[in-house]
Amino acid sequence: MRGLRSIAILLTALTLAGCGREEVKIYHVPKDDSAAPEQNSAAHPQQPQLQWALPDGWQEIAPSQMRVASFAVTNASGSSADVGVIPLPAGENEIDLINMWRDQMQLPPTTNFNPETVSVGSDSAKLFDIASDAAIIDGKFRARILVAMLTRGPTSWFFKLTGEDSFVTSQKQTFLQFLKSVSFVENAPAQIAAAPAAQNETGKSIWTIPSGWQPADPGAMLFAKFSISSGGAKADVNISSLAGDGGGLLANVNRWRGQLGLNSLNEMELDHLPPTADVPGGQLTLVDFTGADSKTGKPAELVGAVVPQNGQTWFYKLMGDVAVVGQQKDAFIKFIQSADYTNAR
Amino acid sequence: MLVSRLIKIFTSLRLTVILLAFAIVLVFVGTLAQVDEGLYNAQTRYFRQWLIFGLDLFGHKIPFILPGGYLIGTMLLLNLLAAHIYRFQLSARKIGIQMTHAGVILLLVGQLVTDMMSRETQMRFVEGETKSFSESPQNYELVFTSEDGANSEQVISIPDKLLARGGEIQNGNLPFMIRVNNFWKNSEPQFRAPMVQNAPPLTTNGIAVSFDFRPLAETKTMDDKNVPTALVEIAGANGSLGDWLVSGWTADAGMIEALSQSYAQQLGADMTRQIISDLTRPQSVSVGGKKFTFALRPERNYLPFSLTLLKATHTVYEGTDIPKDFRSRVQLQNPQTGENREVEIYMNAPLRYAGLTFYQYQMTAGEMAESAGEVPSSVLQVVRNPSWLTPYIGCALVAAGLVTQFMFHLVGFITKRRTK
Repeated sequence: MRGLRSIAILLTALTLAGCGREEVKIYHVPKDDSAAPEQNSAAHPQQPQLQWALPDGWQEIAPSQMRVASFAVTNASGSSADVGVIPLPAGENEIDLINMWRDQMQLPPTTNFNPETVSVGSDSAKLFDIASDAAIIDGKFRARILVAMLTRGPTSWFFKLTGEDSFVTSQKQTFLQFLKSVSFVENAPAQIAAAPAAQNETGKSIWTIPSGWQPADPGAMLFAKFSISSGGAKADVNISSLAGDGGGLLANVNRWRGQLGLNSLNEMELDHLPPTADVPGGQLTLVDFTGADSKTGKPAELVGAVVPQNGQTWFYKLMGDVAVVGQQKDAFIKFIQSADYTNAR
Repeated sequence: MLVSRLIKIFTSLRLTVILLAFAIVLVFVGTLAQVDEGLYNAQTRYFRQWLIFGLDLFGHKIPFILPGGYLIGTMLLLNLLAAHIYRFQLSARKIGIQMTHAGVILLLVGQLVTDMMSRETQMRFVEGETKSFSESPQNYELVFTSEDGANSEQVISIPDKLLARGGEIQNGNLPFMIRVNNFWKNSEPQFRAPMVQNAPPLTTNGIAVSFDFRPLAETKTMDDKNVPTALVEIAGANGSLGDWLVSGWTADAGMIEALSQSYAQQLGADMTRQIISDLTRPQSVSVGGKKFTFALRPERNYLPFSLTLLKATHTVYEGTDIPKDFRSRVQLQNPQTGENREVEIYMNAPLRYAGLTFYQYQMTAGEMAESAGEVPSSVLQVVRNPSWLTPYIGCALVAAGLVTQFMFHLVGFITKRRTK
C-alpha cells in the first residue's frame, strides 16, 4: 500500500507540473535594437495641403495611410458614413478604379459609365455614383459610394463618401457643398497634420478641466472624452457635438435611458423632467437617471446635459459608478459652464 | 476487508483487459475525430483528458461517456504496479517477467512525463540572423517591454489564454491596468485601403488607423493557424489612456511572410513593403515617464545561448522538384561556457544541446526562393523533452526481459529432453 500511495503522490506532482503556464511572467533580456519606428497616426507631411469648410454633422478624424483627410458622418438614428480624401499619382487607369469600386459593391465590371460633372473648389471634377443591388452591409442594407475625381497637375484627387445607400443619398447635397468649399493651398502650414478636433489638446482650450479628470482617446464619434477613477470605481465624461438639434432632445434622452436599460419617455413625460441651468450664451437642459449599465449590467448613474450653441447642439454625458457620478456632478456642471465654444473647431 | 478488495481489483488481469479494450475504443474514436477536429484538438479532447463526455463523430453527437487517455494510462500503470508489487517473487526464474513489467512501467511513466513536461517550439531565422529564443507555434503572449538599464529590457508577458478570459488584468510591475474589451481567437487583417474603407476605425490609436481586423472561425486543421486579435483598453491611476488593437499578425514572422506574399501579388513589392512596415510598427504607452512598448507575439522561450543561421541549403534531385536535402549551417555561441562552433542540422541529424533538440523543420531556400527575390530562411523545431530516453530504455528492458524469459524456458526444455 505504501507503494500505491507513493505512486498517487508522484502522479499528482506530475499533473501539477503540467499546469500553471497561464500566469503573467516577467523576465529580463538583452535589448532588441531591431525594432521598427513607432506607430504614429500623424498625417502625411509631404502631401499637398487642402482646406475645406466642415459641414454640420461631420466630424474630422485622424486620416489613415494614403488619406489626407477623413471624416465620420453620423445621424441621430445611428446611420454612419465615411468620407476620405485620397491623392494618387495622375495617370491611374480610370476604368480599373471605377471597376474596383463596382467590385466592392458586388457589381460586374463595365466600360459604360456617365459621370456627373461637379465642382471641387473652382475646378470641375467627375462624380461617380455606384450603388449595390444587394444588401451588402451586415446583410441588411444596400451600400452606395459617391466618389469625385479631380486631376490637378501630377495628382488625381479622390473624394469618396461611402455608407448605407439611403444615408449616402441623403448626404449627397452636403457632400457637394463640401466639395465646393475645398481649396488647394500651396506651401500652407500643415493644417491637415494637426491633431483632430476630438483630441484633448483642443479640449483644454474649450473648458476648464476639473482635477482628477483624465483626458482619454475620444474615438471617431466623440468630440472629447474624460475618465474619472475614484477608489477603484470609474465614470466617463463623453462630449459630442451635432449639427442643428442633433436629432432632438427626446431622442437623445431616450438614447441615454436605453444605455441604462430604462424605458423610453414620451414628450409629456419629458416636459416634467429636465431642470435647466444658465451657461454662457444660453441654457443647458439637465437630466439625471439611475439604472443598470446595459454593457456591464452594473448599477450606474447618468447625468446628461444638452446645450444648443450657434446652430450646433452639444451633448455632455457623465456616466458610471453611482458614487463617482454623485461626487462629480457639481464639477461636471461647472465644467460645462466653463466652456468657451469660440475655440471649438 | 476494503483493502483486500481494492488489492484484488487493482491486481486483477480482468482490469487490464477492460482497460486495454477501452484503449482500443479510444484510439479508434480519437483517430476518427482527427478528420473533423484536427490532430491537436483531437489529442487534447480525447487523449489528454481524464473523462470524455459525449463524442462528436462525422457531424453527429453521440451521448457516451468514455475514460480519457490520462485515466486509462494511469489505471494501467496502477494495475501493473500493484500486480508487480503484490506478486513480486525474488527468484531467478521470474527475472525476465520482472524486467518486462519494469520496461512497460517505464514506457507508461515516460509517456506521462513527456505529455506533461515536453514542449515544442520553433526557431525561424533568415540567413545572417541570430536568435536567442524560440517561439510557440500555437500560443501567443501580450508583452509590455520597457528599458531596464542601458543594454537590457524588462519584458512582462501575459499569455493569450488570460486575454481570452476577458476582464481586467493587473500586475504589480505594470503601472496600469489592461482591460480586454474584445478577444478573437482567430482573426484576419484588412489593410484600410483608401478605396475600401466603409466604416471608421475601431479605435484611432496605433495600428487600427491603417488596419481593420475581423474575427474568423477557429481553425482546426494542421495547415492553418489561429492568429488572435484583441481590443484592449489601458488605464492608469488617473483613468483611461485609450484603446488599442493588439494582433498576432503584427509580430508573427511566419504569418507576416505569408501576408506579404499575398499582398505582393495584388499590390506590387513597393506598396507591400509600405503596408507591412505599417503593420509591424510597434505601439507604445508612456506612464509616469516610463515607456512601455507592447505587442501580441508568439510566446517566446528565451535561451542562454544563441544560434546564427549561416547558410540554408535546399537541394533537389537533378531535373525534378523533389527535395533531396534540407540543411541549416548554424553558429552556436554560448557566452556562459565560451562555446563558439559551427553545427550542421539536417534530416535525422538534429542538434542536441542544453536539454533541447533542434530538428530541421521548414525552409525557404534554393532556386525558388532566389527567383522570388527572397532571402533564404530556415525554421528549426525546438523540442524540450526531459524523458526522451525513457522509450529507448523501456523498450530495451522489455526486449531483454522477453529474451531472458524465453531463454530460461528453452534451456529448461532442452535440459529436460536430454535427461530423458
